Amino acid sequence: MTTKGGVQYSKIAEIKGPLVVVDDVENAAFDELVEIETTEGERRLGKVLEVGNGKAIVQVFEGTTGLSISGTSAKFVGKVMEMPVSKEVLGRVFDGLGRPKDGLPDPIADKFIDINGEPMNPEQREYPKDFIQTGVSVIDGLITLVRGQKLPIFSGSGMSHNLLAAQIARQASVVGTNDDFAVVFAAIGVQYSEAEYFRRSLEESGALKRSVLFLNTADDPAIERIITPRVALTVAEYLAFELGMHVLVILTDMTNYAEALREISAAREEVPGRKGYPGYLYTDLSTIYERAGKLNGRKGSVTQIPILSMPSDDITHPIPDLTGYITEGQIVVGRDLFRQGVYPPINILMSLSRLMKDGIGEGSTREDHAEVANQVYDAYSRAQEVRALAGIVGKAGLTEIDLKYMDVGEVFEKEFLTQATDENRTIEETLAILWKIVSKLPKNEITKIKDKYVDQYYQGK
Amino acid sequence: MGSNSAMEQTIDKIIKKSEKQVVSDLNDAGLNFKQNLDDSITKLESEYDKILSDGKKEADKIEKQIVGGSDIEARNKQLLALEAAVDRVFTTALEQITNTDRNSDYSNLINSLLQESTKILGTTEVKVYTNAKDKNVVQSSLSSFSGSKLSSEIIDCIGGVKIESKDGAMKFDNTIDAKIERLKPLIRKEIASKFGVKE
Repeated sequence: MTTKGGVQYSKIAEIKGPLVVVDDVENAAFDELVEIETTEGERRLGKVLEVGNGKAIVQVFEGTTGLSISGTSAKFVGKVMEMPVSKEVLGRVFDGLGRPKDGLPDPIADKFIDINGEPMNPEQREYPKDFIQTGVSVIDGLITLVRGQKLPIFSGSGMSHNLLAAQIARQASVVGTNDDFAVVFAAIGVQYSEAEYFRRSLEESGALKRSVLFLNTADDPAIERIITPRVALTVAEYLAFELGMHVLVILTDMTNYAEALREISAAREEVPGRKGYPGYLYTDLSTIYERAGKLNGRKGSVTQIPILSMPSDDITHPIPDLTGYITEGQIVVGRDLFRQGVYPPINILMSLSRLMKDGIGEGSTREDHAEVANQVYDAYSRAQEVRALAGIVGKAGLTEIDLKYMDVGEVFEKEFLTQATDENRTIEETLAILWKIVSKLPKNEITKIKDKYVDQYYQGK
Repeated sequence: MGSNSAMEQTIDKIIKKSEKQVVSDLNDAGLNFKQNLDDSITKLESEYDKILSDGKKEADKIEKQIVGGSDIEARNKQLLALEAAVDRVFTTALEQITNTDRNSDYSNLINSLLQESTKILGTTEVKVYTNAKDKNVVQSSLSSFSGSKLSSEIIDCIGGVKIESKDGAMKFDNTIDAKIERLKPLIRKEIASKFGVKE
């Protein structure tokens, strides 16, 4: 970083989209924080994207609307963007750049941390294997989340992913330990009403006490969205690795983040990749997603649930596609279930938690969890096939066992999947419903569960 | 008479049969009733447990809402009170700095501020701005910075200097106000710790 921080330059060569090109700059550094001052004395923040040949390209977070070449000056602060952190950030609401939005003063900082974070030493990473209870049956039972995992939710526009995100934020907890738990919630480019819903929802449930909210609304400059997940993760890392808390980070909506990235890339005239997103989209996303994990010898953990709405529900779109390469599974919100009025409308056949196997079973949830989950997965898959068949041959053409599978499909969707937005189910309750579904099948159809568990939990005749 | 006794016998038979039937029905009903009662006890127990557990969940939820809400409210009030106290300390400190004597120590401070600023801009050929109170001190210090010139324009600040390159392209604000602003987060932390706020 430059040692000559604080110099203000007034030679602005060009303003293009969210970028400002400053001339005759000496000793600026990559990523350095810049304060742009307008003729009216208004201050905006930015960062250096490129330096060289006496020029610096500055990305203005709050946008360049209203800026003119004459009269605008750029002060190079001499440090990268930092987030003030302390335990006091819990219960606070910030904007997308980490400034208080709750009418309270700046938190008294314990530390100032570079928002870009430090890469985790792969050697120091600890394999995630502890269960996080979200209170949402379909996640806890079939797509279990573990501490330190990154498990995205792939949704589509207009679907109930934000309701689900708020419910998880309110209900999530670590069971079987007295360790502190916190939720860092970053809303990226959401509507004002949604941002208000998140805030109110946490406030009214009493969960705000253990949460930190970063709200970047749709009317905030798009460029701010580049910063929001990073400030949120900086706070999460501090709470996890300095204060030993288990932190769940919910980032919604990462599609808005990727679109802001595309906007900057276009303004920089970079060669576009798929659908106009920059070629480094994968690398950029990984700098966010890879900030989840656990470290050897440290008590806390950072777990991530990034939520992204797939344009046209297209799972092959670059954003879900590249996200899927980095994360450890996915939760897919299904349009058909949503249209049927099912909440949460999670399509389990397309969803998967790659780390589930290590986070469930004896000592974590219950010894029969994996087997009963597999059996239900299998049965629901068969129910879908039977439904398709019934669509062709009619119900009358189905065998008795086919009808039982159809029944399983109905019970699964009505009793297991469907859940009220304020219903917090324990893992025992979730497993009990899974057994109720399995018990709809005759015993000879149960092929994935050991006899001893069938004898113990099967409720059928 | 004969026909009467036969009739009585028949009636007796019918009564006995009916009586038997009624007793047997009553026994069956009793058994059914017992069975239903036994069944409903289990059902009732599980309903009872469910009501209790739902009630407990609801109570926990409400407790969380009340405790969480009041904790946040109390903490926010504390934060505002602390901030007001920190602001008072700041105001008093700034007043004291403003009223500092412009003695030789202050002259040394201005000299070091000028040195720092010219080093950062990389030239001594600069235009220097200061407030009315510091004008003389700054003017006397400028002799050791060749090519520097004190601007006739007066700026509004507590003390210190603001310098600008000759072409006006580069500026550096080294007033006491700017320095305080830069260090404010650290100073706030120090002041807060004096009030007993721990990290």
